[in-house]
Amino acid sequence: MKQGFDLDAMVAELEPVKPLRITHAIWAVFAVVALAATLIVLSKGMRPDVMLGDPDPMFLLRGGLLLLLGGGCGWAALSMASPSVGKQGQSWKMAIAAAALVPFAALIVAMTGHVDVAMANMRFGLDCMVFSALGGLATAVPMVLQLRRGAPTSPERAGWLTGVASGGLGAFAYGLHCPFNDVVYIGLWYSLAVGVCAVAGRLVVPRLIRW
Amino acid sequence: MIANEEGLRRLMRLSLTGDKQAYAVLLEQAGKWLARYFRQKIAPDAVDDLVQDTLISLHRKRSSYDPARPFLPWLAAIARYRWIDRLRQTYRHEAQMLEDYDKAEDSHEEVVGARISIDRLLDLIPQSQAEVIRCVKIEGLSIDEASIRTGQSESLVKVNIHRGLKKLSTLVESE
Repeated sequence: MKQGFDLDAMVAELEPVKPLRITHAIWAVFAVVALAATLIVLSKGMRPDVMLGDPDPMFLLRGGLLLLLGGGCGWAALSMASPSVGKQGQSWKMAIAAAALVPFAALIVAMTGHVDVAMANMRFGLDCMVFSALGGLATAVPMVLQLRRGAPTSPERAGWLTGVASGGLGAFAYGLHCPFNDVVYIGLWYSLAVGVCAVAGRLVVPRLIRW
Repeated sequence: MIANEEGLRRLMRLSLTGDKQAYAVLLEQAGKWLARYFRQKIAPDAVDDLVQDTLISLHRKRSSYDPARPFLPWLAAIARYRWIDRLRQTYRHEAQMLEDYDKAEDSHEEVVGARISIDRLLDLIPQSQAEVIRCVKIEGLSIDEASIRTGQSESLVKVNIHRGLKKLSTLVESE
């Protein structure tokens, strides 16, 4: 018998446990995103068009796609806490494909030479990236805690998804301040923010959730 | 007695509420189910350890079971995860032991649905990778023996084992 294995001890130490609920984790992530957005707005201010109740269509599209990306990947990552053979969880692929339209469109526009806004505002672009990543870091905490409690069978994929989701949600929070509507600017700096979070998630999260 | 989905699910639900009697029966039945599940998918002398590892994971991660979902696919996901973990560890044993092992008993496909079996998991990766994983990691052949049997070069055998295990770890929940 394997050393340390004692069936009777396992039975003796049994305590009632509450099954992991994805809804609890979703509320926790939602609360952190709301907190991050509030801190961004309080410290850096809200976009003027949103303040006036007349948001630019690009703001709405960007926010919607980031929420879709963060929500789709976040749901997929959190679902991984409760494994089951045959569980279908491919919605994250659609979310990533939809969000990928922005950098793809940005690339096409950039190839036509319209890169002035993105290049002239690199300092703001770096701000976008850093603050989005910080917001993403905070958003990743409840996701990692849920995964640690659960039993994710593919820690690497869980890491990628946590990174992409937290990057998307962090960028969404910062987007309430970011005044730029240029597609090249958004395609470059927001993609970088999500990409950095995704790589960080892949590198760090699996070590924290392996079981 | 052969445990079935309905019975095990009921026992697991009771176990989550702290029912020790139900839990003792669950662990015993799950252990038997796992022994059948892993049969001929790992060296016979490693089956007991793997079953125990999986039962410990069941115990530690029991809160990850969703009572609204079937029990066996959850247990199979945990079992596959532990199995791949074990395959990563290098060991050798006599291939003969596998051939002699308990041939008279039922195959686990008669007990569990094929869709959650380990064979099904191996079917999901390229045949060249599954073949060398079976040879080296399950039957215990050496790299050069596997190379001769499969016709793959020794370096290709190593690469295919590495890639195959990596791929398997991403497919644990696939059916």
